[in-house]
Parts: sequence; structure tokens; C-alpha cells
Amino acid sequence: MYLHNRLSLVRCYDGSRRPFCFVTFIVTYFVMFIVTFFGAFLLHFSLRVGGWFSNGGSNVVDVQELLDHHIFHDLGENVGRVKTILVKNADLVQRDFSVREAAGPACTLFYIDGLSNNMLIDAGVLRPLIIDSVLRDRIAGSTDSGREHRPAGPHQTAERLLINPEVKFADTYQKAIDGLLAGESLLFIDGVDEALLVGTKGWESRSPGETATEVVIRGPRDGFTENIRTNTSLIRRRIKDPMFRLESLQIGTRTKTFVNVVYIEGIAKQELVDEVMTRLESIQVDSVLESGYLEELISDAPWSPFRTVKLTERPDVVAAAILEGRVAILTDSTPFVLVAPTSFWEGLMASDDYYSHFYLGTFSRIIRYIAFIVSLTLSSIYVMLVSFHQEMIPTELALSVAAGRETVPFPVLVEVLGMETAFELMREAGLRMPRPIGQAVSIVGSLIIGQAAVQAGLVSPIMVIVVAVTGISSFAIPSYSTSFTIRLLRFPIIIASGTLGLLGFVGAMFVITVHALSLRSFGEPFLAPMIPFQPSDQKDALVRSPWWMLKSRPWIAKDVTRQGNDQMPKAPKNNGSGKADLAPDEKASDGQSHKSAQGKPGSDHGDSKSSASSGQQKRAQPAGTGEQKDKTRRSRKPKKILGGA
Amino acid sequence: MHKQWTIPFLLILCVFGLSGCTGAVDINDLAMVMAVGLDKGDTPGTVTVTAQIARPSDVVGQTGAPAAGTGEPIWTATATGRSIFEAIRNLGRYSSRRVYWGHNKVIVIGEDLARDEGINDVVDFFSRNHELRMRTWVVVTPDKASQIVATKTGLEVVPGNSIDKLFHFSDLVAEAPKIDLRTMQASYLSDGSEVVLPVVQTRLRGVSTDNPKEFGSTPQVELSGTAYFEKDKLKGTLNPDDTEGLMWFVDPPKTRVVVIPCSSSNPNQTATLEIRHYKFKVVPQYVQGRPAFRIQLNVECNLVELDCPTKQSHQQVMKALEASVEANLKKEISDAIEASKTNKVDFLGLGSRFQDRYPAEWQRIKSNWPELLSTAKVNIDVSAHIRSPVLLSTPTVPDSAGDR
Amino acid sequence: MTTKITTAMFMALVINLGFAKGIGLTQGIMARESENDIWIATILSVLQGAVLMLITVWVIRRRPDMTILEQFDAIVGKWIGKVMALLAFVFFLGAYIAILITFVYHFMDYFLPEFPVWMFVLAAVAIPVYAVFHGLEVTARIAVLGVFSIVALNLLIMVGSLKDVELDRLLPVFETGFWNTVATTRHYDTDWAMATMTAGMILPLVNDTKSWAKGAVGGVLYGGILVLLWPILECGVLSAPQTGHYIVACMQMARSAQVGLFLHRYEMIMIAFFGISLLVQLMLLIFCASLAGSHVMGMKDYRGVVIPVSLILGGSGYFVVLNHNRAMSLLTNNWPVIALPIAIGLPLLGWLLGLMFKKKLAAAA
Repeated sequence: MYLHNRLSLVRCYDGSRRPFCFVTFIVTYFVMFIVTFFGAFLLHFSLRVGGWFSNGGSNVVDVQELLDHHIFHDLGENVGRVKTILVKNADLVQRDFSVREAAGPACTLFYIDGLSNNMLIDAGVLRPLIIDSVLRDRIAGSTDSGREHRPAGPHQTAERLLINPEVKFADTYQKAIDGLLAGESLLFIDGVDEALLVGTKGWESRSPGETATEVVIRGPRDGFTENIRTNTSLIRRRIKDPMFRLESLQIGTRTKTFVNVVYIEGIAKQELVDEVMTRLESIQVDSVLESGYLEELISDAPWSPFRTVKLTERPDVVAAAILEGRVAILTDSTPFVLVAPTSFWEGLMASDDYYSHFYLGTFSRIIRYIAFIVSLTLSSIYVMLVSFHQEMIPTELALSVAAGRETVPFPVLVEVLGMETAFELMREAGLRMPRPIGQAVSIVGSLIIGQAAVQAGLVSPIMVIVVAVTGISSFAIPSYSTSFTIRLLRFPIIIASGTLGLLGFVGAMFVITVHALSLRSFGEPFLAPMIPFQPSDQKDALVRSPWWMLKSRPWIAKDVTRQGNDQMPKAPKNNGSGKADLAPDEKASDGQSHKSAQGKPGSDHGDSKSSASSGQQKRAQPAGTGEQKDKTRRSRKPKKILGGA
Repeated sequence: MHKQWTIPFLLILCVFGLSGCTGAVDINDLAMVMAVGLDKGDTPGTVTVTAQIARPSDVVGQTGAPAAGTGEPIWTATATGRSIFEAIRNLGRYSSRRVYWGHNKVIVIGEDLARDEGINDVVDFFSRNHELRMRTWVVVTPDKASQIVATKTGLEVVPGNSIDKLFHFSDLVAEAPKIDLRTMQASYLSDGSEVVLPVVQTRLRGVSTDNPKEFGSTPQVELSGTAYFEKDKLKGTLNPDDTEGLMWFVDPPKTRVVVIPCSSSNPNQTATLEIRHYKFKVVPQYVQGRPAFRIQLNVECNLVELDCPTKQSHQQVMKALEASVEANLKKEISDAIEASKTNKVDFLGLGSRFQDRYPAEWQRIKSNWPELLSTAKVNIDVSAHIRSPVLLSTPTVPDSAGDR
Repeated sequence: MTTKITTAMFMALVINLGFAKGIGLTQGIMARESENDIWIATILSVLQGAVLMLITVWVIRRRPDMTILEQFDAIVGKWIGKVMALLAFVFFLGAYIAILITFVYHFMDYFLPEFPVWMFVLAAVAIPVYAVFHGLEVTARIAVLGVFSIVALNLLIMVGSLKDVELDRLLPVFETGFWNTVATTRHYDTDWAMATMTAGMILPLVNDTKSWAKGAVGGVLYGGILVLLWPILECGVLSAPQTGHYIVACMQMARSAQVGLFLHRYEMIMIAFFGISLLVQLMLLIFCASLAGSHVMGMKDYRGVVIPVSLILGGSGYFVVLNHNRAMSLLTNNWPVIALPIAIGLPLLGWLLGLMFKKKLAAAA
């Protein structure tokens, strides 16, 4: 016992330090309290504001009554009602006319200026109804004039006169106004109790350009735009499969945002599709302005810092995902598409991996895994080593760390937290600034402030290196949301290891791991295929195997066969003089061409042709387990004929 | 879902909140001991601890933050106490920072302390302390340990580092065994071997840059020989030449140099051989209730320097040298064994080698081991092969050599 | 309770259970008794563990849907079943304390000597409880991670100390006598007893009944191979007296490892890996103790008793851990006497009773 007392005496005689530590902690906690109260106040305030809004909308009920009403026969009444519903809308355009030079019924066309394409309305609606109908009458003479005198029904008008591929009918105001606000032209015909919605949608939209968040060296340069149709077309252009499915729904009681769910039937599990649809359909919100709304509303673990839905801006990534049996959710008016299910590791994979050489793909993947570990743990390991376990630092390094910290007035924990906060500050500032200034800010931040802070003795040089390496590593993570998760998790780990040393570090990492392990993304374990270990998926996890080895899709797919056997390219058996030998071989073994090495085309030309022909066959037949092998076998045939010719 | 983990979460939060900075000491608040010397205190029963503490900003130089810049990289502090721990605690009386042992490289034990007080305290204290590395070197000095600790040697800024580096490259001279705390503790705890420690001492060797004419004015620490212990007390020392024989048993060197006079009449002209590969084997035997040992050493060496005036070809010279190498090595081994026998101290660890082979017999004889050792028969069998004259094909001889 | 785990996960659990205490405290205790023979004792013990595991698997396989305690309930009635459950609870309590001792003495003595003990105990309770609430599946997945970390740990120690190994030191076989060596195995048997008792509780949650025996015994053998490296290195590098000299022998081993001139000490990296395996063990023991506890209380869901059970485990563990001498004497002298009768007796009794009342067991709901 005596010895024990003496031990504790020596080990604790740093008494001068502890009160200081304590003070900084009090300050930190004080700041945390302020933030919490401020947050609570804001929350309270915003709730009250929300309350005012709902009080202000007392006439909503009346409008709903108007909307539910059936379309009138009388044109005047219809026009009046539309104007009542859409009162004070300066961009609402009304055009009154009558079909066939006043011989036909009077009509009124509504459209929203800017949402509809004037050219389409002119050429597809007004011209046929006003001018072409007259011309047709004149050409046709009076052969069926008896019938023509009756007011034409909307269906007939649409069928015969409207030169527009997309015409719909609305029987209630709800539908009519919804269509009008979505950019369609609303056509009322006197005496008809149905309104026509003509597809004249057309508004200014960005053309598919390079993405801002996912930059690749090799790979397509197009990215999604804000227009959902452009986006679906970008995916469709990549997958010409009849089993491609695109289900549409509108979410948001006020925004009525178009949401499309895209998958390939037969590859994606039906339960997965059903689950996605159920979750989307059960959403009841007034607005969906971005896919982030949906992401949070359908996420498996709403409280988790990990995102269980993947976010991408690239059509090729979406195409690859749905070819692996995933489901993509496209939202109108945002270029960000959700993909589910996803695993944590996907956040560390870039689409480049699959396009560039597989050695490069594997190498850069490993670099990214290192970046992940470094950005998550480096600063906390630094804190832990420097304030608790100094014996673990090699002596020379320990001396230079100590030398660097000689004039630093803060404990390491405060120093690290301060530097990390400063780094995040610079990152955020660089993000928000107009682009030219952003550059300047980062230069000022990194060079001048960093150097000056070291010179002034506020931070130690090694600290700057640690924070910089951490920051650079977090930039190396391709997925923005994964990178953000890691940035966020860094702070609790730093605090834990700064207060509890190794125990805190191990404990924090363990808790985070347990949490991540308990997560599921639409039923699939979040850390698969590492844990639970999925041997068949290891070819595309830590390493990126060459394409001819990636025989199967990930285990989440219903149909896991991706390609035929024996896809590894081989050199022809007889160099150069392959042509003469090939012909008899082809006759001899028709169905087993894959066995013979000569079947492989010798030139790039042959390769491209054969892949084109296999593409044609893909279009011709539905995808399925049974057909897969068949298809590849058949797709070989043209190659052989080509080689033999 | 989140109700379940609120409780553990709150508990963990409590841990953070209640712990504060328990035990956290920033690295710049530590006085990092690089070497420690232990001497007998002035009053009997006390021990004086001399700690050599690095001043980081001066060790590293003006790389980062502005340094305090006293120009002296080392601060040597000394204190006395009834036990090592108390002495170390007494250092804290005037050390502005917490004394920290995690980076200690060398423990220097004064010879008088080792001889009179024993090293039990040293072994116990330094292996009980969790901060210390088990790879810390332990040395004995006939000088004052405090003197060794404060002496700058070689190119290193920090003396502790210089002794550490001495050991890393001591293979080349093989004049003192490399013993770290772990090895020392193992042989201290084992019945079948006694502790040996390298001896270091200061010698005026260096050349001062200020005064180049005064050769050998600066003291330098150098390795010289071995100290051996009986139980915990220092029993005696071996000079560097005897140590060469001991090294085969205790700390087999990677390479060795053997210097052989050309002839007995001409001891100043020598041939030098470098041992490149060797096989050293101790085979314990148990004959008629007595332990015996057969020691086999096969060496392969290169001729690296030949000073002998000779008309013979390399082949003949090497042939002739082989025999003298064998004799030379045999002598150094038997010298070491003789030293062990006459002093009745098993510092070669022959006992534990015997124990590994004859565990049951060992149990019977171990109480009487030093006596038995002194009478044990030891058979030394050395065979040497000189493989290559390195680059030269014929010996370097002046033209007139033939006339002599 | 509905989620099932795979055989591979179960194997990982078994490997973890035999490792953390097995390489450190147990080796130290054994070295004090049988010196250089600890590696032989380890091998013998692994074999005994495998046999015991086989018996447990046999017993459970008769009714693959029932834990060993539920089998007792079915055969001998509710009240005797409760006594058995209480015995199992006592076993898991002791096992938890043993692992807690390992946890605290690793982290506290070597890394954070200034921390109060309660902080370690709190960590050893709160973190596993957090995982236990997520169910066995998460624990099992972490165990896979634990196996990776065990392999990493073994590789690190090999890299750091292989060059210092003197295999001659392993040579004296049965120096302390054959029977003494066999008797020494009781210490390591307690670690495998943990594995077999846990198997008795969680085997019904493992998917594929046919591969049980392969998975369980394979787990013991693989775990044994992974552990065996340590006594060999501890004898070869440290020497037996030095191994026995320390409370936590493996830490001494780790402290002595060195890679090159630069990396003098890296035991912290090793202990970070080791910590994962250790926490898996603590998790499993809390899980099983909760299962046993809920059985005593007659509750359906174990989650209800997790907090009280963990408080009991942590509280008694705290009391034991406070005093090094008491903890070590409990581990050395008392723990095998308590653990082995329960761990060997329960499955054997279950087997015998099952033979006698075959129909009753088969008929039980």
C-alpha cells in the first residue's frame, strides 16, 4: 500500500497542468451548452413560424372545394373558375379562339408562360385547330358535313386535329390544374365537360455537362441535369433492355414533384422494388425540392450519421447500379439521383475504377482505403499519442513533436479541435465563396494562416501536417456523403481519445463499428461484403478484378450471372495464319466455339463488331437466368464467322 | 430503436464529462529522460540517480517554433534517495516538468553500486515500470555513472542516443555484449545463467575542434569489456580480449575480425581475417554424473588485410593461416570458459544450455552447479576455412621483398 | 432472438472466446506452475476443449431449437431448470470477471495507470451492452472482425520477436512432470469452458445444424493454433521464469517486440487489435449471462434483464479488479474449481438426463 501511494504521488505531480485542462473543458462545455440552447431556441422559433403559416392559409379549404369540382360544360364558367383558382398569376396566359373560323366551338387555351414551349403550342395546338381544320374542311368538301356540325367531342378533337404526341383528358379541376402547373397546355372546349391537357412542356434547362461532385479521369463526361426526362433518357441510352422498368409517382402535396423509380426487372429483387415503392408511397410531405428530402424520408437509420442511400450525379454510375440489381430513384429538378441499397464501401469506390486498367483501379482503391483510415483516425491517434502514450512515438519524432509544441499554449486536444474546426471553416468558406474568391481563400487559409499560426507559436508544425493530411485524405474519398460522414465521426473519436486515451479510442471505434454493423440499407447489411463476409463479392471489394473475372453480380441481385464462362481473352493458337484454320473448325464444332481459342477475334475491329452484334441480340430477347448463358454463347457466333470469313 | 442506445450513450457521455483530462500530460510537459545513471549515494544505503534529460527545442534545432535556445541540448539532473524510486521522485523537486521514462535508452550502473548493493533493485524497478522500454540497454561503468551520462560521444547531440547507437554498430568490434533489459531480466531470473553486462568507460579520445593540437582532450564513452555477476552482485570484469570469447555464448556477433601475427618472431606484422559466416554450437553432455560440454565452431572467413612479407601465393598463405585462426579462436573461447570456471560463475549460460537438454538431471544437480561447472570437461573444436582473398589475386609485396 | 447467425460467424465467436485471456493471464498462471511446458499444456488443453465442445454440440443437437437450459427445463421441470440456469449465470459471472481482469490489467497497468478503475469497468460494461442490445448477429459480425484482428495481432508479434526466438528453450519437455503439466491445463480449460458454455447457449441461434460440430470444434482448433504461437514465443523469447514473473505475460511479450531501429514500441497498435477481441468476449458473456438471467427470472426476452445483469457483472467485477492480488488469486486458485465443474457437469448431466428421458425431451414444446 505504501508503495502504491508513492507511485501515485510521482505520477500525478503534474498538478499545475490539471486545472488548466479543467478550465478548457469548462469552456468547451459552456460553448456546447450555448450551441444547444441556441439550437433549441431556433427550433422553437421555427415551429412558431410554421404555426403562423398554417394560420394564414385559411382560404385553402375553399380552393380545394373548387379543385375537386367536375369540369363544367360551359366554357365561360370553366374559364372563370380557372382564373379564380389561379388568381394573381401573372405568367398565366389565356388564349381564346374558336375552331374552324367560328364555325366550330369556342375554345380557351391556358398555359404557364415559361413552363410551356410556345413553338409547340403554336404548331401543335393553335395552328391545327384554327387553320388546319379549316383547310381540311375545304379539301374534304361537304362529304361528311352532316356530322361535322355537331360539336366535336374532346376525344375526336384530339385524335383528328391536335398534332401533339401527348394529349390527356381531365375531368376534374384538380387534374386540369395539376397538368397546367406541370407545364401542359389546358384546353377547354365550349360544351364539353372534359378538359384537354396537351403535352407542351418545355422550359429552359441545363444541358448534361460535367458533374461537379464526382470527377473522373476516364469515363463519360455527362452528368444529370435538373430535368428528369433528360435524366431518364441518359440512363436509357445506356441500357437498351426491354426489362428496364421506370415507375413514376408524384410526391409532395404542394410541389407534386415527379419521382421515377428505375430498375431492371429480373435483376433487381422484386421485394427490393416493392420495399422502395412502399417507402416512397408512404411519404406525406408538402414539398420535395431535392432528393435529399426523399433520402431522409426513406432512410433505414434516420438517426445514423451514415447514409444508407447512395447519392450520385453520374448516369453511368446509375446504369451500373441498376445492372447490379439496385434501384435508382430519380427526382425532378435535381441532378442528384438516389441509389439503394448501398454499402459503406461503395462510398470509397469511384466509377473510374471500372473504366481504367484493373491494376490502376485496385491501386487507387487501396489508396482510398488508406485515405479513409487516415482521415478517420490520424488526428485522434495524434492526440492520443501526444497526450497519453508518448512512449509509443519514436524518440526522434517525440523530441521534434515536443520541440514544436514548446510554445503552444493549449493542450493537444484543444489544439486539434481548433485546427480541425479551422480547416472545416476554410473548406466551408471556400465552398460558399464565389468561385474566383474561393481559390484565394484557400490559398490564404492554407499558406498564410497555417504558416503564421506556426510562427506565432499558436499551433505546432506537426499539428498542421496532421490536419492537412487528414483534410487531403478526406478529399480523396469519392463520395461526398461518405466523406462528410467520416469528417463528422472524426470529432467524437478525437474527443474520446483526447480524454480517455487508448481506452477512449478503442471504445469509440468499437461503438462506431457496432453501430455500422447494425445498419441495413433496404434489408442489405451496410458493411457487406466485408462483414458479413461474402466470398463471391470479394473480387470487387478490396481489389477490382478484371472484367473477365467478374462473372457474377453482387449478392444483392436476383440474377447473379453477369457473363459467360471463360471470358478471359486468349491469343490465337496459330499466329497470323488463323483464317485458313478457322473455317473447318467452325464447321466442326458449332455450339462449342468458346472452347476454341481461335474463336476470339484478332483485331479491335472484330471486337467492336461482335460486341455490337451481341448488343443487338440483347435487345432482341428478354433478360433472364436461363437466357444469359444462351446469349453469351450465341453472341460468340458472329465473332467466329467474322474470324472465319 | 434510439431509445435503446440512449442509456449506453449517456453513460459514455458521462465518462467523457467526468474524466476531464485524467492522466493526460502533453508531450511538451514531459522531461524526457534519455539516459539514466545509478551510483551509490554518499550516505550508505542510498542511491544517486542522474537523469539526462533532453531539451527538445535544442535537440531538434530551429525547425519550428521559436526555441528557448540555450544551446545546450541536455539538462542533467541528479538526486539521491533511499530507493531508486524515491531518488527519482526527488528529481521532481527541481525538475520543471514531469520526469518521463518512456524514451530512456540506457541505464548506466556504477560499478561500486553493482558490487556493493547489487542490481536486484535495478532489475525490479525498471521492469516494474510500464513506461520503460524493455529494449533499454544496461551497462556498467567503473567510472561514476553520472559522468558517463553527461558525456557527449560521437556525432549524436544527445549522449543517450550516442550510447544507443554504439550498441547498434558494436557488432564490428565485438568487445562488449549487447544486453538489454529483457535479456538481463531473463538471465537474472533463470537458474542456469548469470547476468553479464557490458562495461563502458570514458577515455580521452576525441579531438576538440577548438584546439586541434591537443589530441585526446575530449572524453568519449567507449565500450570496453564485460562485467559478470553472481546472483545480484558484481563479481568481476573481463577485459575486451576475454570478452571476445564470451561473445560467442552471450551475444553472437554478425561478423568478427581476427588478427593474427605473421609469425611468432614478427608479431608486429599481421594478417587480418574477417569472419563472414560461422556456426557455433554448444552440446551439453552428461557423463558419469558429471556435466561436460562439446563446443563446435565452424568459421568461414575472408582475408581482408595481409601485412606479411611473403613469397608464397595466396593459396599457401591462406592454408597456413587457417591453422592459426583455429588456434586463436580456440584460445579465446577456452579463456572465457576458464574465467568462468575459476570464478565459479556461470556467466556463459552453460547451465541453461544443459537444462534445455537434460531437464531431469538439471533438477538434481542445479544446487551444486557452480562447483560442478568448475570441474566440467569442455571440449572445444574449431575449424576455420579461409574462403577468399577478396579482390587481390596475389599478395601485396614490394619488389624487394624477395631480398629480405 | 429471431435472427440467426451462420456457422462461420459462430466459429469466429469461439475463436475469440479462447484468445484474449488465453494468451496473457492464463499463460502467466500456467508458466508459474509448469514453466517451459506451457506450450504443451496449451495443446493438451485445446484438445480437451475440442472434446468438451463436441459433447456440448451433441447435447444441443438432440433438440436444435433449445438451449441447454431449455433442455433442462423440458426434462426435469421448471424449478430444477432454474437452479441450472442459476449455475450457468454464476459461471458467466465468473467468466465475465475473469475477462474484466484481463481487460483492466491490460489497459490500466500498461497504458493508463492514472485512470480510476471504475472508468475501465464502465467501458467494459457500457460498450458491450450497447452491442448486446443490437442482438447476437451484430456481436457475431464483430467477432469476424475480432478474428481478423487476432490474426493481425499474431502477425505483428511474429514480426517483432521472431528473430529473438531461441527454440532450444522449448526443448525440455515435461520438465515439471507429465501429470503436473496435465494438471496445469485446468487453467486454460476454463477459457475453453467459456466457449463451450457459450455454445450451449447460442448454438440454437446458429443456422445450419449439420455443420455445428465442424464449426464449433474447428473454432476451438483454429483458436488453439492462433493461441499456441504465444506460449511458444513466450518461452522462446522471454523464458518461462520471466513469463511467470508478470501478471500479464503477453503484454511483456508485446513490450519486448521491436521492429527495426525506428519502431521501438508498438504494443499499443497490438492492444488496439486485442481490445476488439476482448470486447467481443465481454459482449458475448454479457449476452449469455443475460440469457441465463432471463431464464432464471422466467422472462421471454433477454433484453429486459441486460441492464441489471450487466450492473451485477460490472459491480462484482469492479470489486474484484480493485486489488491485483485478490484478483490473481481468485483466477489462479478459485476460478478453475468453480468453472470446470459447471462447464463440464452441465453438458454431461444434460446428456445423461437426455438419454434417460428421451421421450420427454422429444415431446417438449
